[in-house]
Amino acid sequence: MENLDAARLQMAFTLIFHIVFACIGMVMPFFMVVSHKKWLNTGNPIYLKLTKSWQKGVAIFFVTGAVSGTALSFELGLLWPEFMEHAGPIIGMPFSLEGAAFFVEAIALGFYLYGWDKISPKFHWFTGIIVGVAGVASGILVVSANGWMNAPSGFDYVDGQFLNIDPIKALLNPAWFTQALHMTLAAFTATGFAVAGIHAYQVLKGKQKELHKKAFKIAITFGAIAAILQPISGDISAKDIAKRQPVKLAAMEAHYETSKGVPLYIGGIVDTEKKEVNYKIEIPNALSFLAFGDFNAEVKGLNDFPEDEIPNVAMVHYAFQIMVGIGGILMLAGLFFFFTNKKRKQWMRKNFFWKLFVFLTPAGFIALEAGWIVTEVGRQPWIIHKIMRTKDAVTPMPGIVFSFYLYVFVYTVLTVAVAWLLARQIKSLNNSPIQNV
Amino acid sequence: MIFIVLFFLAFSLLLYVLLGGADFGAGILELFSSKTNQDITKKTIYRVMGPVWEANHIWIIILIVILWIAFPAYYKVMVTSLHIPITLMLLGITLRGVAFVFRHYDAYEDKSQYVYNWLFRVSSLITPIFLGMIFGAMVSGEISTKNTTSFYTVFMAPWLNVFSFLVGLFFASLCTFLSAVLLIGEADEEGYPVYVRKATIATVVVVILGFITISYGYFSNILFIKGMLNNTLSLFLIFLSALCLFPLWFFIRKGNRINSRIFAGLQVILIISVAIVPHFPNLLITKETSLNIFENSAPESVIRVLAISLLIGGSIILPGLFHLLKSFKLIKILEKE
Repeated sequence: MENLDAARLQMAFTLIFHIVFACIGMVMPFFMVVSHKKWLNTGNPIYLKLTKSWQKGVAIFFVTGAVSGTALSFELGLLWPEFMEHAGPIIGMPFSLEGAAFFVEAIALGFYLYGWDKISPKFHWFTGIIVGVAGVASGILVVSANGWMNAPSGFDYVDGQFLNIDPIKALLNPAWFTQALHMTLAAFTATGFAVAGIHAYQVLKGKQKELHKKAFKIAITFGAIAAILQPISGDISAKDIAKRQPVKLAAMEAHYETSKGVPLYIGGIVDTEKKEVNYKIEIPNALSFLAFGDFNAEVKGLNDFPEDEIPNVAMVHYAFQIMVGIGGILMLAGLFFFFTNKKRKQWMRKNFFWKLFVFLTPAGFIALEAGWIVTEVGRQPWIIHKIMRTKDAVTPMPGIVFSFYLYVFVYTVLTVAVAWLLARQIKSLNNSPIQNV
Repeated sequence: MIFIVLFFLAFSLLLYVLLGGADFGAGILELFSSKTNQDITKKTIYRVMGPVWEANHIWIIILIVILWIAFPAYYKVMVTSLHIPITLMLLGITLRGVAFVFRHYDAYEDKSQYVYNWLFRVSSLITPIFLGMIFGAMVSGEISTKNTTSFYTVFMAPWLNVFSFLVGLFFASLCTFLSAVLLIGEADEEGYPVYVRKATIATVVVVILGFITISYGYFSNILFIKGMLNNTLSLFLIFLSALCLFPLWFFIRKGNRINSRIFAGLQVILIISVAIVPHFPNLLITKETSLNIFENSAPESVIRVLAISLLIGGSIILPGLFHLLKSFKLIKILEKE
């Protein structure tokens, strides 16, 4: 394997892993504090038990997110030293603020996990809020650094030199808001549906039904609201990409010929040789409208971009289709939940209702990873859009493929271990009685 | 402004060595303990470090972020030449962190505890050794920035040598020493004499390893050690450190939990200063040249924003951290004897 491919695979693999764990670690504290608040308000011991089980989940995910994040902070340099030498100072601000936010999160989590019966109940609950807010802030800041790679700003690029660096302008690059909004909603959707799915499965199994139903409701409410809002954010992102990275938009839609009134393709098999898409469903003029708000707008096709500036079209197109498809399903599932909860409560006594959400457990994360593939693979061949190519940034050290195998091995074992640990948590939760306080 | 950045760099380094080091040391202590003492140590460190264990390890992220933002050239040489030991160190950090949480948050206490415990102890030993080796490699003058020679010379030789390994062992023993001294004040009746004994042994080991490292460096003509021994200020600091060993020894033997900590912390500050002072501002010594951090720093606009971010971040984090330590009675000085 080429060194560059190995480095890209390692980066992709580590991020695929980190994103899942970081998102759960970022969103679950919110479920935890809602349950905690309900316990404080009602005194119902079920909520206390739920809060304490969720806090164990948060601790496990926080540590896996934290150690994989520590590894990533080094990997950026280990794999892309040329990139970090130039980009490091420019995008230092989101990273240093992220470091601070992460620190705040760790301190607040220390208070939360160890503070039961030791600090005042209100302050204790409030530290849980800080955990969540600091986690979301970290997420937004990291995404802002990624946004800069898509929309580099805050410097002048003269003869291969980065001059007049303005770190604040780099932080507030044109992509940060659309990307951060989309990612945050995605994190809430994915985690909400995943947690809800796990509890739905427990409801089907019939142990501690009342607790799992309450847990399901809290998680799915967050997930459903985010899933319903996500299409709006997606639309903002699409319009932004159309302006800023037209080649990425063209790859997302596998749109080859520049033309006006372009249809939107749904599904289809990309033939990169013949440069066409077979077996697709076409919605006339829809792409022009979605990208530019005008049914007859011209959309630049891939054929009009230089060969060596085009990403892997098939991969970007499929990933985009998966993301949008699942996103749509989750939005409908979210609406279905609210409808059931308001008008058809009796459905919640039927198995089909719970089976549906069990089925959707991994869906949010599949969509989230697909979306990340769209934005990252769609940026290629650039590591800094139109400034530095990925192949020019890679480390000169040969044999990265071994480091890649090492990461695959360690992170696979870790993932299995975390899943096993969670299964044991749930088992112990189901087998222990709820105590009145 | 650059001095604010340097202050935070040194401050994070100090806190990482003190807090993260004591964390690593706890695992090493457990590794070299009898079965009964292992259980005592496990319980004690969970109580003492539980609330802050993650915060202790964020200092290295702060360190690395400051390095890459403010001193990108320095950072680039480090991550390129020392790719292998850094990867191995990260592996240690990862396994250690998850093992710590797994062993305390697993719903059942069964045979799997055996795996977590050994993973925790072994990675606690390996990680600081690699950290020390990385530091040793950066100052021993073995790194070559010219990328023309063989794989071994460029990517292995700088860190895979006796001097780096000695620095690694020295750092691991320093961690153990810090942890043992910390635990003197935290243990209950049962554990107290154990840690007094272990702190005594650790002190002896640190002094012996320090002596061996310096002697080896001197006789193998390692520039870093030569510079250290030819510099009046660092010689004075070494002398001071040796002098302070007497009160340290006295307070450890007496089991005085506050004064032993103060003198242990002082030793660490002296050791870090001795390592930095003689070559400052050249913090990286390679075969071809030394990298002067002032000449290789990021542009002024970057340093300014970073300094302001650090001041704001610091003013939020440090009081928070202090409050956390205080709330869980982790600062013994604040309590009545």
